[in-house]
Amino acid sequence: MSIVAPEKILKELADLWVSTGKEGGEAESQGVLRACSMTLVVIGEAAEDAAALGETIAALMPEHPARAIVIRLTGPGERALEQRVYAQCWMPFGQRRQICCEQVEISCSDAALADLPSVVLPLAVPDLPLFLWCRSPRLLDRPEFREIADMADRLVLDSARLADPKAALERVAAEVQAGRLVADLAWTQLTRWREMLAEVFENRQNLAHLAGTVNFTVGDGGAVTTRALYMAAWVKDALESLHVAIQVTISANPNQQPFFLDLASGGFTVRLERRQERMLTTVNGLCQSTHLPLPNDYLLMREELGIVRRDPVFEKALALAARLAYATDK
Amino acid sequence: MPTENPFQDALRFERRVPECVVVIFGANGDLTKRKLLPALYRLAYDRRLAAGFAVIGTSRTALSDDQFREKMQDAVKEFSEDTKFDEEVWRAFSEGLFYVAGDIGDAGLYQRLAQKLSEIEQSRQTGGNALFYLSTQPSQYARVAEGIGAAGMGKGSGWRRLVVEKPFGHDLASAGELSDRLHSVFQESDVYRIDHYLGKETVQNILAFRFGNGIFEPLWNRRYVNHIQITAAESIGVEGRGAYYQEAGALADMIQNHLLQVMATIAMEPSASFRATSVRDERSKLLRSIKPMSPAEILQQAVAGQYGPARIGGEDVPGFRQEPGVDPASQTDTYAAVTFFVENWRWAGVPFYVRTGKRLPKRVTEIAIQFNGAPLAIFNGDETKIAPNLLIVRIQPEEGISLKFLSKRPGSGMNLRPVSMDFNYGSSFGERSPSAYETLLLDAIIGDPTLYTRQDMVEASWAVVEPIQNVWRETKFDFPNYAAGTWGPAAADQMLARRCHAWRRP
Repeated sequence: MSIVAPEKILKELADLWVSTGKEGGEAESQGVLRACSMTLVVIGEAAEDAAALGETIAALMPEHPARAIVIRLTGPGERALEQRVYAQCWMPFGQRRQICCEQVEISCSDAALADLPSVVLPLAVPDLPLFLWCRSPRLLDRPEFREIADMADRLVLDSARLADPKAALERVAAEVQAGRLVADLAWTQLTRWREMLAEVFENRQNLAHLAGTVNFTVGDGGAVTTRALYMAAWVKDALESLHVAIQVTISANPNQQPFFLDLASGGFTVRLERRQERMLTTVNGLCQSTHLPLPNDYLLMREELGIVRRDPVFEKALALAARLAYATDK
Repeated sequence: MPTENPFQDALRFERRVPECVVVIFGANGDLTKRKLLPALYRLAYDRRLAAGFAVIGTSRTALSDDQFREKMQDAVKEFSEDTKFDEEVWRAFSEGLFYVAGDIGDAGLYQRLAQKLSEIEQSRQTGGNALFYLSTQPSQYARVAEGIGAAGMGKGSGWRRLVVEKPFGHDLASAGELSDRLHSVFQESDVYRIDHYLGKETVQNILAFRFGNGIFEPLWNRRYVNHIQITAAESIGVEGRGAYYQEAGALADMIQNHLLQVMATIAMEPSASFRATSVRDERSKLLRSIKPMSPAEILQQAVAGQYGPARIGGEDVPGFRQEPGVDPASQTDTYAAVTFFVENWRWAGVPFYVRTGKRLPKRVTEIAIQFNGAPLAIFNGDETKIAPNLLIVRIQPEEGISLKFLSKRPGSGMNLRPVSMDFNYGSSFGERSPSAYETLLLDAIIGDPTLYTRQDMVEASWAVVEPIQNVWRETKFDFPNYAAGTWGPAAADQMLARRCHAWRRP
């Protein structure tokens, strides 16, 4: 088995900065600028598209410069840990100086999972938060996961990657109950939708319609997904906090828009739907169109890496969504 | 019936934006086409505007709503530098664009506007909120405000606010008179005097830098700061604005508003909170602490300049007096440098050197804070004198902050060399920064006047600048006194040399 020594990796990182700084020749070079605001540990399966993941991490670096530690799970087999170190650099338009961030890649077999914290923790940048982005659903069920998750100041999961929405919400809720700061990318996908719905009710006349019984429908291609459950839970919780009665439906019609929201109260109606890269918000027939890029890992992580504290709105929605999942099951 | 929006999520959502109508006077002008509509379109693109948001443009040119929409579409396509034009977003946004033609001296125009405002309030559910944006000649500001008031638009079922562009008067008396006339219709809290410098990200970042960190504030005083230089240099000339510029000059056009506001931001005391009133109170207090100069002091502490013709990069460029529309014997300052002193405990005795000019070697705006040297030079060679510690806040073109300090050069000897530690705003945060107009328009719609100038600030600025203007008006300058493409007149260098200081070359 190859040995991964944190001191060796740190030495390689230091050498990397020296060599990157020397590139381009002394006279011509303006040097490199080192930027770091966190340690980002990404754990994924070795079978995942490494290039696509690399692009996502590279795209995140300008806004969230980090020491990125990518751990690739190689699966069963003998105990093996391997590493390589490299720099992720970019040259801002019109400037002569490169901005660089460090990247460490570690390959790890299942048998070596227990060794991961002892390798990763010394590599974390001191005094800065450590984000753990777990992309492997398989890892969540491994006994080593708890110790790995304990390293993180914030744990990022994606419940949409788990097959059973009810079990997925339970899994996420368990992490929250364990006292961890947790993010779920299925919830992150809803931010722009929730924001647009909130914007509708910034109008006092619209707000006045939230009386009597409100009928709320969320559709996600006819399936009961964690995303749909989160949205239903969030709306239900918000309205019930105002003592407004609400009837929630998760649409089972697979022929409707892939994701949409309908809210009706008396004669007042709101519909939010996606049309390619735009969101259409229709309030009583008056339609507004705004830019809504298709969600991808980069956009979702960009949002989550900006949050280093507890998210009470998410945690409330999560608790209620788990209960709704049970109700939907029955 | 609920009174609070139950769907808000302060952690993740952008600030709340109420529905409203923006009424632009001078809607056929350059500012509307280059800045206002592109900024509003970008806000719509970014989902920052409420669903019923609407714009009413007005100017003398006869246009239908559709013709106005077409013109604005062209403007948005041409002047939105970093925003993709999205047909669908534009279609929805443009449905909220309306136009009313008329002369701002005609009372009938305001009646028609009031009628249109009322219709839109119903059709687009704008809640009676209206923001009046005066993008007209400054001489028309008071007249338009009074027209709005006479037609009953100064008050409504929602809020009513007025945005005015600089200049806010041309001296202390006219600034006061303008305010009095605006106040006949709008309360001071509803008057938003726009200074686009304050909307720039780095100027806002000065507040974050100073008051969000604990390590800089202890150094931010006369004990550690040797002097401060504020430079706003433009490489271009008057670019067809000769006739306007001739009446204004660099001192009134830049220092009275933008640069004194920047100086106030860099030197103000910490505010008790980040509420608009607290921040503006501190800015205002600082401006009132700037020592007005006597005529004798002005001769020593203020330098006027005007550029002459020169050859730059193989191209002949005209002097100011050769620019179209400019009097060949013009005494207008295209360059101004002033040494200000702030009379408070923090800054007593620390010179603030402020300079601005046209046709300087490069376009750059920055603030340089020079710290005192180490009290004792213990190393060979007195590098601390040659390379003092500098904190540089770069406002444009590359926004950022740099700290210059001495470091040991690698090797056996103890040789020091200056090094720079840079924070580059653009590359540290890859996200696009909103333009100053996006920030300021949104603030006005939300009702946050933190970055807007208040009447007492305007008057405090004029109180400092007017004595200089008066002396310069009485002086016959031997212009031109600097060649285009140079860093200004020699007298400006001498002004600093008297205190053993020198201008930085940005």
